[in-house]
Amino acid sequence: MNKTIEISDQPRLSLPRTVRITIDGIRYRLFRAAVTVAVIAVAVAFLMNILSESLIKRAVAEDTHERVERSQFVHNWMARLSAPGTIEAILKELASVELTSPIANEMSSMSGLSDAEFARFYENASAASKCFAFFADLDYAKRRNLVHTAVSVEVFKRLRTPDGLEQFEAILPTMKSLRFPLSGEELTAFLQAWPQTLAQAQNVQEGRKKAIAGIKAKRGQTAILTSLADAEGQFGNDIRAAGFHFDGDAVAPVVAEQARALLDARRLEKSMEQKTTRQAIAQHYNILPADVNVILMWKYLRSKKSARTYLEKMEECEVDTSGLTPERLTILANVRQAEKALVRAQRLTVGTGEGWMGLGERLSWLLLVSMMVCGIGISNAMLMTVTERFTEIATLKCLGALDGFIMLMFVLESCFLGVVGGAIGAVLGCLIGLGRMLSAFGPVFAGSMPALDLLAGMFIAVALGVILAAGAAVYPSLKAARLAPMEAMRIE
Amino acid sequence: MEQQSPQQSDAEKRRVIIRTVGLKKSYIMKGVVTEALRGVEVEIVTGEFISVMGPSGSGKSTFFNMIGALDSPTVGRVFIDEVDVAQLTAEELAYLRCHKIGYIFQSYNLIKYMTALENVTTPMAFGGVMPDEARERGMELLDIVGLKDRWHHRPIEMSGGQQQRVAIARSLANQPSVLLCDEPTANLDLKTGQEILEILQRLNQEKGVTIICATHDHRMLDICDRLMWIRDGMIERIARREDVHIEVGTIGGESN
Repeated sequence: MNKTIEISDQPRLSLPRTVRITIDGIRYRLFRAAVTVAVIAVAVAFLMNILSESLIKRAVAEDTHERVERSQFVHNWMARLSAPGTIEAILKELASVELTSPIANEMSSMSGLSDAEFARFYENASAASKCFAFFADLDYAKRRNLVHTAVSVEVFKRLRTPDGLEQFEAILPTMKSLRFPLSGEELTAFLQAWPQTLAQAQNVQEGRKKAIAGIKAKRGQTAILTSLADAEGQFGNDIRAAGFHFDGDAVAPVVAEQARALLDARRLEKSMEQKTTRQAIAQHYNILPADVNVILMWKYLRSKKSARTYLEKMEECEVDTSGLTPERLTILANVRQAEKALVRAQRLTVGTGEGWMGLGERLSWLLLVSMMVCGIGISNAMLMTVTERFTEIATLKCLGALDGFIMLMFVLESCFLGVVGGAIGAVLGCLIGLGRMLSAFGPVFAGSMPALDLLAGMFIAVALGVILAAGAAVYPSLKAARLAPMEAMRIE
Repeated sequence: MEQQSPQQSDAEKRRVIIRTVGLKKSYIMKGVVTEALRGVEVEIVTGEFISVMGPSGSGKSTFFNMIGALDSPTVGRVFIDEVDVAQLTAEELAYLRCHKIGYIFQSYNLIKYMTALENVTTPMAFGGVMPDEARERGMELLDIVGLKDRWHHRPIEMSGGQQQRVAIARSLANQPSVLLCDEPTANLDLKTGQEILEILQRLNQEKGVTIICATHDHRMLDICDRLMWIRDGMIERIARREDVHIEVGTIGGESN
């Protein structure tokens, strides 16, 4: 009987040996690998740059909101202490706080309403505020269709007329994209209670008017800003006595300080009218005195040395310099710079908070595009790497390599390249993003960088690089592994 | 698996190792069917040294790829050690290529990033030999081809002849029954070509390895047992060396 060969299945090569062979291969083709890594790095860096900038912008936007609010305490209080505000403003203000908050308490006591009444008023104010927001978002045509030319509280007056409500309810369902915040019953109940709500809001307005009149009597001819500079002292007590909720510990010192800074700033800006002071600045920047403006003055005052010179010049022309020191001028100049940065940050971060991950409509689109660019770039690089090694694949198959081994070898290789390229790209992209954002927003925001988010973003970027690289390697290597060895050799 | 026993009354060691039945292969290129092989039937027994000759385009390389299980025939069958190659799975094919056949190519095809020793031990690794044993055997094989002291060199640091010798050592890694050489001396000068031929002859005589060798090299005539001419995808003629000897003049002129 004739002997037959005993064909048993090939053993699989152990993973460590596969890894070693792969690394040897990469080391031999170091330049080629470096180019591939560079492609991956650039793609991932692009992606990471967009991601990091988006994350930073989002963090800065949140931070800015708080800071801007705080920096405008004095303006808010100046407004509060000089005018009672419109009905709409009162309703909105109430709706934006909790029923038990100090502001709600203040309104409650000023309006002279009972607790139960005020609670009803609070409910209606919330509903009114939702309606205001709804109508504010409408474009003119839709708005005119729904409520004709009525604005603000007039809207509710119009809706209370049978015609007005009929028109509104007939047309609203035809506007498919709109969602009215109140249900039918809620709206009916709200409109029914509207005269009462309006009267209550007017009560609040009246109460405020009285309180403001009282304060006005107290401060006499003094300008409100000057009075507010004393917010920590007697004037603060006057405000509280008039019925306003004016926190003596948390708010008063800030308001007083901001009022003083504002006064000093006005004085400084006024000092620019003097020829001597203008000349000092003009000399420093080597321009004509006529070209000196307020912006230049603030820039000039940022250094203590020029602040000292400027103060001397002010004294020379007998401008009132009481309470001003070079340090104070420098501080004022720097605060002003920080405020400018805040305003700029607010402007630059407009629109963040929507779209994917709250990154903003434009940025999430950019992110998607950059991901596609990243994928195509990496696929191309991997495709080249695999196709140029067809002969090697064929030879390995002649030596008895399994298809799985060849696949694994290429997927491993691209994983290595992906990890290295991805890491380089992620760090690079993140650094560029940080640098760009810091220079755009100013160093004021160095503290508000979202370190954890950025780290997570870097991980995502690296993972994406690896997945894309490995994914891109699978198809060509599968194709190469499946080919008969001679076919593969011929393709080369 | 098919098990036929052709005229096989001889001793065990003279058994048929490669047999083809009605082997045909056609390629379709731009809609034109090109027939590279048109029905080749051949039997090769163990321990033989066969030279395959033929002008280029004769289907010589295609024939080689068929009997080396590197390509599948359009029609017909290839039996290696009485196993029908067409019926093997991918894993079994890999096993066959790893253990039963050694390949030597015209352009050496060493793995560029591996040292000579690693090149020789790679097939062993695929075959499941332990690293230490593989190293030992690899050094023995390199010794046979006279490159023991160059084991740590990469292909790029070696001459063509040396690379081909490493390739021969690699092809012997798993003690194959058949050695397929596709014009092993074509890229080498006369002297190094001669060395390669001597190594092949020695392997054939001392170790009893079956060698099938495609070649244009007339020196092959001196060392082979049988000669086979392929022309236009058909076997033109098979002859023993002794019979051909007298006609060397004419044939030499034709096959060169």
